[in-house]
Amino acid sequence: MLVQILNGLVYGGMLYVLSVGLVLIFGLRRVVNFAHGGLFMLGAYVGYAAYGIGGFWAAIVASIVVLGIFGIVLDRLVFRALQKQEPMVTVLVTFGLLMVLEDFVQSVWGKDLLTFTTPPSLSGTVAIGAVSFPVYRLVVIAAAVIVVGGLSAWLKLSRAGLYVRASSVDPVTTAMQGVDTEHLSALVVGVGAALAGLSGVIAAPLLALSPSMGSTILIESFIVVVTGGLGSFTGAFVAAMVIGQLHNLGVVFVPNIASMVPLILMVGVLIWRPAGLLGAKA
Amino acid sequence: MTLLQFEGVCSAYGSARVLHDVSLSVSKGERVAILGRNGVGKTTVVNTCLGLASMQSGRMAFLGRDVKAVRTFTAARSGLSVVPQGRRIVSNLTVRENLILGGAPQRKGRWSVDEVFRLFPILKERAETPGTAMSGGQQQMLAIGRALMSNPDLLILDEPSEGLAPVVVDELGETLVKLASGGMSILLIEQNFGLVHKVAERYYVLSKGSVVEEGKLAGLSMETLKKHVAV
Repeated sequence: MLVQILNGLVYGGMLYVLSVGLVLIFGLRRVVNFAHGGLFMLGAYVGYAAYGIGGFWAAIVASIVVLGIFGIVLDRLVFRALQKQEPMVTVLVTFGLLMVLEDFVQSVWGKDLLTFTTPPSLSGTVAIGAVSFPVYRLVVIAAAVIVVGGLSAWLKLSRAGLYVRASSVDPVTTAMQGVDTEHLSALVVGVGAALAGLSGVIAAPLLALSPSMGSTILIESFIVVVTGGLGSFTGAFVAAMVIGQLHNLGVVFVPNIASMVPLILMVGVLIWRPAGLLGAKA
Repeated sequence: MTLLQFEGVCSAYGSARVLHDVSLSVSKGERVAILGRNGVGKTTVVNTCLGLASMQSGRMAFLGRDVKAVRTFTAARSGLSVVPQGRRIVSNLTVRENLILGGAPQRKGRWSVDEVFRLFPILKERAETPGTAMSGGQQQMLAIGRALMSNPDLLILDEPSEGLAPVVVDELGETLVKLASGGMSILLIEQNFGLVHKVAERYYVLSKGSVVEEGKLAGLSMETLKKHVAV
């Protein structure tokens, strides 16, 4: 049972790092980014390429940097224009972008599953009570904790974080105070994409790499964001942790309906609170 | 020195033109009012300064420099600060954070969070509460304090008396007079004649997007002023 709870934390942590990027992008740009799964997948493949050259830590840095820059370019070329478009246009464009990213990765690395081995320094197990647990999985939990703490501190304690919080509620008033909200949005989309890249590379040793890996996790990521409440960082954290637990406990205790459990949770939460667990009421 | 100048400005939202050939000016240290009924284009004057309405023709200058491609964030950075209609306090920020937001342009000058707290002591008492959890009058103080935080050359207030009790409007007038006596240049956009009479030295009357009347307030009675606006 302890192992299942720890595995739930691993999955929840990975989901959070991915989903919080979606929350950031939606908060500033009001764009529901269906390409986010593609950024996760691209992060994993960029990490795979960098791993061969400089090892695991180089893979982490490369994914964050490459995806961060890619996010800024994406904001300038796509998201800024999408901000004033109908929601259906946003869905079609970002979904199309996801397919373009999948085709790009397939043309470079092929369709076959690739494996990303756990780095030797982080392999092995550690005893937790009566059970032994893989060190790497604890590292994933630690990475999620660092992202939660770092992001919270940035948003709460820094000037840029204050501008991000203000702009997510009222971009016009924020701009009236002298904040260049366009640059701020580009920065935030860059951070969101970098987090998607980070989640992709830390998930890589746990999953097989394939061009469609982003589409699969995208659904659960959206469930996290919607259940937590659109635009709520704390809501996304709570939802990711709950869904992480339900995902793993579901696989053990109700394997036949395990994949439906997060969806059932989301429907239940939305009936109870249409704005999500911690979302602002419209 | 002329701080803000409009010469034959025509402004629009998309294809809907609102301002027609508007000329006005505010000099350093002056207190100027723009009067007019609802929907005559008073707020569009502010929105033109902020780039929220597009200037189609004419000339706009700030601190003697022509302003062509206006972007909303550049106004505060160049010394023009706005207390918007409806106050627009950012709801997820505390009182202190709203003030820090106002200091985003980081222009040097007298105003800081502590200085705003000295002007409005109630804001210090409520510093850590959400800005929107205060009364209308307190929110107006916060909106003015936030605008002062950028140490502006010109403070524009768009209908600051809206929704406030008469006694609070009187206090607001005293505050604006106090700021003006400290050298602050003010452009007051108002429908409240009492507040305009108390604060402003000169006025413009807008009707259907055009300036139809202008003059000095000294020696002008409230009744005469109301007649001018009723044109």
